Amino acid sequence: MASRLYQWIDHRLKLKPLEQTLLNEPIPGGASWNYVFGSATLFLFGLQALTGMFLMIYYVPATDHAYDTVQYIQQEVWGGWFVRGLHHWGASAVMVAIGLHMLQVFFDGAYKRPRELMWVVGVLLLAIMLGFGFTGYLLPWDQNAYWATQVGINMVGSVPFIGDFLVKLLRGGETLGALTISRFFAIHVAFLPAIIVFGIMLHLFILRRVGPAGPHDEARAKSGSETFYPRQVFMDAVVMLVVFGIVSLLAYSVEFPLADRADPSDHTFIPVPEWYFLFFYQLLKYAPGQLGPLATWLLPTLFFIGLLLLPFVDRNPERHPSSRPIVLGTGLGFLVVVFGLLSISLRDLYAVPKRDPSVVRGIALVQQLNCQTCHRIHGEGANLAPDLSFVANRRPDRNWHLQHFKDPQSVSPGSFMPKFPLNDQQLNDLTNYMLTLKSG
Amino acid sequence: MEDGLSTPVGTRRSFFVKTTVFISSLIGISLAVPLIGYVIAPAFQRRNKDWVSLGKTDLLPVNEPRSLDYTMTEKDGWQESQTTKGVWAVKRPDGQVTVFSPICPHLGCGYRWDQQDRLFKCPCHGSIYDLEGTVKAGPAPRPLDTLPSKIENGELLVQYEEFKSGLAKKVEL
Repeated sequence: MASRLYQWIDHRLKLKPLEQTLLNEPIPGGASWNYVFGSATLFLFGLQALTGMFLMIYYVPATDHAYDTVQYIQQEVWGGWFVRGLHHWGASAVMVAIGLHMLQVFFDGAYKRPRELMWVVGVLLLAIMLGFGFTGYLLPWDQNAYWATQVGINMVGSVPFIGDFLVKLLRGGETLGALTISRFFAIHVAFLPAIIVFGIMLHLFILRRVGPAGPHDEARAKSGSETFYPRQVFMDAVVMLVVFGIVSLLAYSVEFPLADRADPSDHTFIPVPEWYFLFFYQLLKYAPGQLGPLATWLLPTLFFIGLLLLPFVDRNPERHPSSRPIVLGTGLGFLVVVFGLLSISLRDLYAVPKRDPSVVRGIALVQQLNCQTCHRIHGEGANLAPDLSFVANRRPDRNWHLQHFKDPQSVSPGSFMPKFPLNDQQLNDLTNYMLTLKSG
Repeated sequence: MEDGLSTPVGTRRSFFVKTTVFISSLIGISLAVPLIGYVIAPAFQRRNKDWVSLGKTDLLPVNEPRSLDYTMTEKDGWQESQTTKGVWAVKRPDGQVTVFSPICPHLGCGYRWDQQDRLFKCPCHGSIYDLEGTVKAGPAPRPLDTLPSKIENGELLVQYEEFKSGLAKKVEL
């Protein structure tokens, strides 16, 4: 049935030659798992486009509705949390895929003549992808979105001479607000997609005109070739399935809850950028005062200029890694710095202050015994019995607490606190927790 | 050296082709199910109906229709809004109260109570109903629609519903 329909269309549109061109492209040295990263990136881009379109069905890009609509998607729409999860984790995955794709091209020397233009377009595609990440981050309009975008925009403001203008241009005025979310939304869902589709087509067009680079090993490259279809297509499909499986599993199992609604007056909130910006975030901590502005705009600019110029600076035609020690050394050095900064940043972020396990059990007991139906602790709970926020200041004596928990009336006559049946460990845990409740 | 020299052929080739088709279908279906559900879910959602108090029944005169304000919090997707509808309540001599939807069952206009003729009259197409809601004249296909109501502790509780207009039978929207 399907093949008869295809024949009917082919008869009229002459699809066969097109099909041959698309599928029978020769791959020097044969199909390889090394070549799957570009397809994986393209697949993830498609996934982002698809889930993004579906998110737009419920999303409203306005400061007074954006948060509600994202929360609605997250909590009330059937499957909404999953679609949003796919888009969120897909964004991370696409960055990983681009990174691996670039590394493969870099280490294989596939950016060299005659493929310089393919590399240049690829670098521009990376910049556009980062633009997607930056503009998309603001859209949920929660605290993280608002404050991380503030920081991002202020970094643009460090560009000399035109910085102030660029900031106003990005915000759509003096403040980050209604006009900012509108233009970020338009850029995210209309302008960037239009540009990137053209860029991807150009990238693929150049690939087809120049042909794939094949292995860096001359002997293997000359050993023969095979067509793109079916083995390379099969490998690409397997990788797409794996990638899709990972993204779905993350979307399914790791919740990505909204922070509180954006509150421009709350200056206590500490925003954290997406992980793919974290190494840069960490780097900025080391840039001392006057060098700060240089780190915020000069380094990224130099990075992109360096990437764009790479195939023109590195004109050594040799592709084998062992014959390119300087370029590969520089690349490896860059990776070590990036991952070093990333790991320091992650360690700082997730460093949980260590707590006495007994105190942790004590806190759990307070929840379990519903102490806060009467007592208030740091603003939580009723105000029927004494506030315990700083109880250790008033009652620093350990034995008093132990005795009091065993038999409240014995040390506090007339108290209406009930006797709770507690074992010795529980008595200890609760007392240890009480003794941590002090000011200063 | 010819292009495509080591291209797989025969059963090996068909294994790659079949697996590729299988994987594509798997990804396609795994995406289609949540995405389609995500889009069509609101089409299956029922309006939530709450019992809303319209006040004490003591205050209603017997056999005199009164337009009472029915204020409901309506969830319209992610928006919550309060809307007020005027429903017609008629207290019977036995103390029971009939509550009529304010919408004419003919084509959905709002009808009025004519105190002189003691009839409900729809200004749009001239349907006329008596105090019981029975059609007395005009094109209306069915009597006035009654709304679910009950009296608890002297208070009149009503659920707001809407019905398809133009049908002989009362069909909820």
